[in-house]
Amino acid sequence: MTEEIVIKVRDVHKTYDETKVPVKALRGVSLDIKKGEFTAIVGPSGSGKTTLLNIIGGLDRPTSGSVVVNGIDISTLTDNQLIDFRKSNIGFVFQSYNLIPVLTARENVEFVMLLQKVDKTKRDARTKEMLQAVGLGDRMHNKPTELSGGQQQRVAVARALAPKPSFILADEPTANLDSSSTANLLDIMARLNREEGMTFVFSTHDQRVIDRARRVVTIEDGKVLKDEWR
Amino acid sequence: MVPIIAWRNIWRSRTRSLVVIGSIVIGIWALIFLLGFMQGQVDNYVSGIIESETSHVQIHDPHFEDDFDVKLTIDDATKIVEDLESDPGVQAVTSRLLLNGMISSSAAANGIMVKGIDLEREDSVTRILAKIIEGAAPDTAKRNQILVSERIAEKLKVKLRSKVVLTFQNTDADITTAAFRVAGIYKTHSKLHDELYVFANKKDLVRLAGVSPASAHEIAILLREIDNVDAFTAELNEMYPWKAETYKQISPDLELFSSQIKLNLIIMTTIFMLALIFGIINTMLMAVLERVRELGMLMAVGMNRVRVFFMIVLETLYIALVGAPIGILLGFFTTKYLNRVGINLSAWSSALEEFGMKDIVRPSLEPGTILTVAIAVLITAVLASIYPAIKAIRLRPVQALRKL
Repeated sequence: MTEEIVIKVRDVHKTYDETKVPVKALRGVSLDIKKGEFTAIVGPSGSGKTTLLNIIGGLDRPTSGSVVVNGIDISTLTDNQLIDFRKSNIGFVFQSYNLIPVLTARENVEFVMLLQKVDKTKRDARTKEMLQAVGLGDRMHNKPTELSGGQQQRVAVARALAPKPSFILADEPTANLDSSSTANLLDIMARLNREEGMTFVFSTHDQRVIDRARRVVTIEDGKVLKDEWR
Repeated sequence: MVPIIAWRNIWRSRTRSLVVIGSIVIGIWALIFLLGFMQGQVDNYVSGIIESETSHVQIHDPHFEDDFDVKLTIDDATKIVEDLESDPGVQAVTSRLLLNGMISSSAAANGIMVKGIDLEREDSVTRILAKIIEGAAPDTAKRNQILVSERIAEKLKVKLRSKVVLTFQNTDADITTAAFRVAGIYKTHSKLHDELYVFANKKDLVRLAGVSPASAHEIAILLREIDNVDAFTAELNEMYPWKAETYKQISPDLELFSSQIKLNLIIMTTIFMLALIFGIINTMLMAVLERVRELGMLMAVGMNRVRVFFMIVLETLYIALVGAPIGILLGFFTTKYLNRVGINLSAWSSALEEFGMKDIVRPSLEPGTILTVAIAVLITAVLASIYPAIKAIRLRPVQALRKL
């Protein structure tokens, strides 16, 4: 593992006041994520882990504090700049897969690379490589509805990894999976972390994920409670 | 990829998309049929007036139409008619004497206009022979025969071979009276025409009115191409000292009728487009609201707002592009078929006669109508897609992703 810091979170606060009663989701979180980490952000429901992940991923903005990703303070970017930033830097894996239902597995994996205008030959090769890496080389022409939950999540991982982002943010990626699919998915992600050096940051309260993580950051009441390296 | 996603998206809710496409098809089909039907009515009205009254062009003394003075004749009418007959653009031409007067029988009297006609030429312009329902046209070999309409015959209570008396003013400003025998009875589709005109041989009226045989009050011309009418009329006005007028100038109500129909078309098209807009907005809004989470994901992974907007607009356009050609083809072929067989409106013939219209309406489409409808549908689709597309791009990925 190198010492290059990919994500630098400094004193991030996030207060929601949508219902006029302010809810403090994050209360001064500071965190560094280095390249090649396989980190789980854990905590009970409502602890603020998804909020932290959304802020790191540029999907939400902090109320105060800064988030620097690859040297860019993303809290200063406009909405449109954030969209471009996410496209080029971050791979997302969501709890409920969120594949594009009208596209096949291959097209889903290809999608972000198409947005990035990656040349067709490179795109095709990378799509095939990633689908094979997640063990779905033979299901590339199937639509999401023709795949199991575990297979869909593997396609989502392939989609997140295909454009070679700086890191992958996975929000409760195993929440909807059975134990064998979870084990299979974690094996794949651990291997990709090892072989491709890809940085993974999970938010989870799934013990099976926590057991595989090399670093576990525990959040409670919007604060970092523990930061353990294994 | 965005066009592919948009295309596949419209088939995700097949029934819903087919209902919208179906409504577009039926709407366009009905619109084109209505446009065709109304154009057919315009054509019917215009052709009726041209055939029975105005022809394409008429020539008069410049002041004749002020008070139909019998003395205001076109002196060289015979020569003009002969010249025009040799013009390749002219289909038929005739000259007439027009005398305002009265027709009376032992039972009644009626104000009329007597048309002194050259039978053969008149028939080539107005098809007068085909409108005779009883008897025959005035015999040129016999003196003082007359052709009256069924309506006048009924009013005067006269039959074939009955005697009627015509009274009119001659060129010396004296009242001339002459007895005529009814040789035939005619009927046209126009009540106004039938109540106004009776026909006699021109040579009889020349003699009775005291005008020169070579002269006429009116020269009526039928052209081969109606589109040439303005240029041809302008040419006549340059060539002769007389006043040549197009059918539109002679009968300005044609323009009024035509413009009213066009206004109706605009109103109907607008109503159709508005209905279509709301139908499409409703469908596309449902499509967007159902896919909030998916749209949030697309924006989360890097699909920018322009592409999301474009995708929703494309989905709407695709729906229109599937529906519009089917509706246009159906409308086109329905109009074409009905143009061939005609729509029989004889149930309303008495009302149609009031307006001088025939019983059979042949729907027709003006060039450009189909293109106009197609463009209007596409514009409608784009307009209808704007609100759902704006709704889509206003979504914030983090909130959209939270939706179940």
